Amino acid sequence: MQQARRTASRGANLGDFVFASLTRIAGVFVLVLLGAIIVTLFIGGLPAFEKFGVGFLTSTDWDPVQEVYGAAVPVFGTVVTAVLALIVSVPLAFGIAFYLTELAPQWLRRPVGTAIELLAAVPSIIYGMWGFFVIVPIMAQYIQPAVIDSVGELPLIGPLFGGPAFGTGILTAALILAVMIIPFIAATMRDVFLTVPPVFKESAYGLGCTTWEVMRSIVIPYTRTSVVGGIMLGLGRALGETMAVTFVIGNTNRIATTLFGPGNTIASLVALEFPESQSGSLKLSALLALGFILFVISFIVLAISRVLLRPRLKV
Amino acid sequence: MATMTSSSDARRSSVATSMAGIKTHVATGLNPARISIRNLDFFYGDNRALKAIDLDLPERQVTGMIGPSGCGKSTLLRVLNRMYDLYPNQRATGKVTMDGENIIDPDLDLNSLRSRIGMVFQKPTPFPMSIYDNIAFGIKLHEKLSKSEMDERVEWSLTRSALWGEVKDRLSTSAQGLSGGQQQRLCIARTIAVRPEVILLDEPTSALDPISTLKVEELIDELKSDFTIAIVTHNMQQAARCADQVAFFYLGEMVEVASAAQLFTSPKQKRTQEYITGRFG
Repeated sequence: MQQARRTASRGANLGDFVFASLTRIAGVFVLVLLGAIIVTLFIGGLPAFEKFGVGFLTSTDWDPVQEVYGAAVPVFGTVVTAVLALIVSVPLAFGIAFYLTELAPQWLRRPVGTAIELLAAVPSIIYGMWGFFVIVPIMAQYIQPAVIDSVGELPLIGPLFGGPAFGTGILTAALILAVMIIPFIAATMRDVFLTVPPVFKESAYGLGCTTWEVMRSIVIPYTRTSVVGGIMLGLGRALGETMAVTFVIGNTNRIATTLFGPGNTIASLVALEFPESQSGSLKLSALLALGFILFVISFIVLAISRVLLRPRLKV
Repeated sequence: MATMTSSSDARRSSVATSMAGIKTHVATGLNPARISIRNLDFFYGDNRALKAIDLDLPERQVTGMIGPSGCGKSTLLRVLNRMYDLYPNQRATGKVTMDGENIIDPDLDLNSLRSRIGMVFQKPTPFPMSIYDNIAFGIKLHEKLSKSEMDERVEWSLTRSALWGEVKDRLSTSAQGLSGGQQQRLCIARTIAVRPEVILLDEPTSALDPISTLKVEELIDELKSDFTIAIVTHNMQQAARCADQVAFFYLGEMVEVASAAQLFTSPKQKRTQEYITGRFG
């Protein structure tokens, strides 16, 4: 009897051991994978880093004929389009999530919520085509001329909205990116807003809070970590987005001085140039180095979000 | 502090004039009604959760509400500060008057109503901010106070809720680091900081240990000198200890209301007697 029980318990321990080992392997696998990608990119990019040194980061050249490459233009394009996309999308996504969780009538919440999830599932190539065939002409014919004539005349910010109205460019790319990441951010925000225990909201309402005061003082502080997490998810997608941006950014190796000017991002440059670079060439190495830089940018974004999210109060 | 006394005096005297001539309550030892509930029905969708409730909450006294789970006592509290308005398909009909206003009137300003009728919940709900800010939060919604006035009010609320001595050295730390009992007293402090006229307590001690429970009960006794209080409780001893008047609810009806002494010693209704002697519920 006792013997049997002991065997059974040993069996259970063995099961535990196997399961623990399997999950440990899965956990370590993530680390190995991440490390492998970083190392591969770095080694691939090493010739470029060696040849151009720190100047690779600051150089605006991209000349395959002379074999001179610099990362400044795509890095600039990547960061500017992603940040602009966030500026546009975060308030909108917040509005959507706020409306869906607090204000919308019950019958509307589900359809709109489903629509957001469907939007998040639309492949980026579709956003690219939509951007190119629909948004770019609209920008070129209506929005950009109107903005150039109005805002463009203002001092200080005016020069940002100058230049010829091609329809493509940094701002158009940022708008497409914004549309693409809104569903992500909105869906995350909605989900985390719903996790706030109703009794907290009721306590705040019980003190005489308005809906907005409950949102600002209770819901947002309570969900701060996840909200920023959702925004970072969106930012990550915006930084790495390739196809949609390639369609509308203009693909020019120049640092645009206006928001309507063309530019390039790391991902779209890599996608365009990759097929034309021979293995072992300096160009390929430069592209891999760009990939490494994109990795570092994402890493910095993550680190910043961690710093922003550090607990403010001592418990 | 001076403003505090004068405003509650003013409130008292205005009530005294409006209630002048009403002597019916004298015999029961209960004060005139602060809130009068008349023929109140409440519906969750099609489900009628409260049936023709008539009840007075006497001014600056404690009304206990007892009854088995699901009998509608918490629902009644949620009617009094219109908490049900947050949810679709919940509605109330009838009349609940305070100062001549019908509380369930859809046009009523809810934010000001809720500043006059505060609520403390079963589970302590400290907001994710410091102890000081938890108290100041509600005040800032309704009043513009200078820093020193605010400090004074925060101290007053915390003193009034018997928490000041325990937290005065850690006001800037997170309220979520307090113990459960302290958190609940913090929630009471937060509620009285807004200086409501009525305080609704929804099973305020059911998540607390006996010592914290005792402290909260003592606090309730303290607070009734300034506030009209309604407390929902599952604990009949608690109702007997705290309440001046006790109402027994069963299946959405108010079966009986009487002074605590009378309801627990000689109930008029058979169902009340069966409940308080533990035969069901």
